Amino acid sequence: MSYQDYLDDKKVILTVATTGGIHGKNVNPNLPEQPEEIAEHVAACEELGAAICHVHGRDEHGENDASRLQAVNDAIRERCDDIIIQNTTGGQSTLEARIAGIRTDPVPDMASLDMGPFNRGQHIITEHNRHNIQTLAREMKEKGIKPELEVFNNGHLNEVYQLIETGLLEEPYYINLIFGTGTFSIPSPENVLNLVRNLPENSEFNLLATGPHQLPLTTLSPILGGHIRVGMEDNLYFRRGEPVESNAQLVERTVEIVDRLECDLATPAEARETLGMN
Amino acid sequence: MTCPRLEYRAADDEHEFDHVRPYCTVTKEFVSPMKADICNDRFDFHHERHCDVFKARAETPPADDD
Repeated sequence: MSYQDYLDDKKVILTVATTGGIHGKNVNPNLPEQPEEIAEHVAACEELGAAICHVHGRDEHGENDASRLQAVNDAIRERCDDIIIQNTTGGQSTLEARIAGIRTDPVPDMASLDMGPFNRGQHIITEHNRHNIQTLAREMKEKGIKPELEVFNNGHLNEVYQLIETGLLEEPYYINLIFGTGTFSIPSPENVLNLVRNLPENSEFNLLATGPHQLPLTTLSPILGGHIRVGMEDNLYFRRGEPVESNAQLVERTVEIVDRLECDLATPAEARETLGMN
Repeated sequence: MTCPRLEYRAADDEHEFDHVRPYCTVTKEFVSPMKADICNDRFDFHHERHCDVFKARAETPPADDD
């Protein structure tokens, strides 16, 4: 979790977040929503070097539907070699729907675990309290699912420390630092540095930033010893005014940047080892 | 109860899709997945309380209501 890690040739874990729960094809028709589409995008990204895929389920209308994660997982397993599947337990739904993300058969290698609620629009709040968080963390621990701790803002890092105290997490803690608008951490290099400085010991961090912040802030991550998440969940444009064509387009750019930084990407097997998933 | 302003359409003037998607007949736009939860009164959402578009429309005289 430091510049020294970068100098020591630490490998970078690249996650692709293909779809998310916020946007639809009406905003960018290239956004994959259905299981086969998602699996096609994931396979292309694995080929380029992504080690983890973060996925959501959508129904036939493009609306959020956690019950479709099973079909998404099945399609990915059919098309991909070894990429780590990370199901969402996020969104604005009930605990029951969130838990669906860790009750697929087989269970996913990983799952996201939001560290608290966030606001969207005037009335949407992703209700998520400590009871829900601990319920999900407990089931993940019992099933051997590695949680990615979603830190939407600085206060959520306090929640990580609180959750560590419960004994429900195993080292290394995998923390996803999130930068963007609204309830997310204000996107700036200074805030990235501040959050990285305040991470718990024995943790690995991932970094995602939304929209135009994706490119600059994710580029900062490996230099600080962190990992990278890109994809159409977080960013629907390749550059200003130019809609992104595919998840692979974003992944390909990141692979090139990581290469120019003279870093290597972790394979899925290496990512499992780094994150203590073996 | 689903919002009476919600329809499911496969196309509008700008888009054409393989499947029908949630469409707001007030804004004349397709609706995002998160917003569609409000339109469909899912979870603890209710369109009459939580949709600004619906509320604004309800407060407007229906002169051009189609």
